[in-house]
Amino acid sequence: MAKLILSNGETIVDQCWLDDARVTIGRAKGNRIAVDDPSVAEAHASISHVGRDYILEDLRGMALSVNGSPMRRRILQHNDVIELGTFHLRFVDSKSSSDIDLERTMLIPGLKFNPDRRPQDLEVTQDLHVPSTRGANAHFPSGSVRMVNGGHTHALDRVVATFGEPGRGVVVFTRRPKGYYATYVEGESYPRVNGESIGKEPRHLHNGDRVEIAGLELEFLMDGP
Amino acid sequence: MPSGFLEVALLTDVGNVRQYNEDSIAVDLTRGILALADGMGGHRAGEVASRMATEMLLTRLTAAADTFRANKRQHGPLLALTQSINQANKSIYEAGRVDPRYRGMGTTMAAAMFHDNRVVLGHVGDSRIYRMRNGRLELLTRDDSLLRDQVELGVIAAAEARQSHNRSLVTRALGIEERVSAHLADESAVTGDIYLLCSDGLNDCVEDADIELIVSALAANLPLAATHLVQAAKDNGGYDNVSVILAKVKEPFPARASTWWWRFLDWLKHLFAGK
Repeated sequence: MAKLILSNGETIVDQCWLDDARVTIGRAKGNRIAVDDPSVAEAHASISHVGRDYILEDLRGMALSVNGSPMRRRILQHNDVIELGTFHLRFVDSKSSSDIDLERTMLIPGLKFNPDRRPQDLEVTQDLHVPSTRGANAHFPSGSVRMVNGGHTHALDRVVATFGEPGRGVVVFTRRPKGYYATYVEGESYPRVNGESIGKEPRHLHNGDRVEIAGLELEFLMDGP
Repeated sequence: MPSGFLEVALLTDVGNVRQYNEDSIAVDLTRGILALADGMGGHRAGEVASRMATEMLLTRLTAAADTFRANKRQHGPLLALTQSINQANKSIYEAGRVDPRYRGMGTTMAAAMFHDNRVVLGHVGDSRIYRMRNGRLELLTRDDSLLRDQVELGVIAAAEARQSHNRSLVTRALGIEERVSAHLADESAVTGDIYLLCSDGLNDCVEDADIELIVSALAANLPLAATHLVQAAKDNGGYDNVSVILAKVKEPFPARASTWWWRFLDWLKHLFAGK
């Protein structure tokens, strides 16, 4: 379960498990997290619990400071620090920080529309694109392909790039964490790497490799070490 | 319908992190039926639920297809799909009620059935169906997920969705309640279309733009496209099981052959229609 820890300097002033649907933070005594600092508003911020998310929102109409950056709202992440005058409020969520395997598919009731909860600065649109993709947890190399006869260079900065001519021969260059691979896609003839046919199997490419397909000659170039 | 009007490639993979694969996939190539499910539940019950879903959908849909294609009954693909989903739901629900090992098990599902130059689509939960047409990838389904609810209701902004921990929380699934209401659609299917059914293990790890690029660049080699999609999900983390079914429409597939007699009947119908 998630937890808030309020500290001032080296001293821990208050702690609270986030088991309520919503907790408020402010100078007034009625707040679950009461912060005795003149720069903190009576009603300063709130944290709402939705599914596995704890959403921090400002209640004053101005930016909060989280990890040194100004923001009006944030889905709290493990070890986030909210600055409240001289106080620091740390968010600790051992579940989301530890094991990714805990994040199993589960069933949960859907949200009901509640106009009071909707921040004013958001538009509700019909056709939303929800970028559910998490950031890739991998480092990808950077390479390019030079047309030996045409002269120009093509950066291999996407997951795949194809070269050749449909029917005659097409090769795909695939970018993977451990390097680039060339694979036959279609056509009468297989690609050749350094003069040798690679058949249907992916071939790991090295800097300077020459790839031939459908009368094209390509030089593979790896950037940096 | 001509046999071989559809080309299909399918692949399922446990991913990099999970111990078991709780996804299931099944297809009937000649009848043009595709089914995919992503199960949930403890003690490997998720595997049971997803397998029950795909097997039951396939069995029911093939039987229904043979019936309405023989023209013995008027009920069409959309009704067949609805009934099959309801029956699969009920069976999983009953199994979970009777056997304590399966209590609370459930599964998402996505299914497609091709018939008479059209495709009917059904889904529950966060398994998705995309269509590639003229080089553009379009998402045809709408996730039953808390993340989507959060964005749709303005609790968080779309751009904040990446920071959310609610990625794998679905708001609807097969086998949880006695009845389920599936999302259904009936779309035209034209030559060159590529349909992609996938579990959330794909779209959680691979951006739509990269899915589009892989499917369009490798459209001429569907098995290679399928391995590239799964490989991309694993190269980007592979946190979950990942499953894909790709189906390409190779030619028109009218329900009956286009003989002069049927064309004449169509012409007559056309003549008297709306008069």
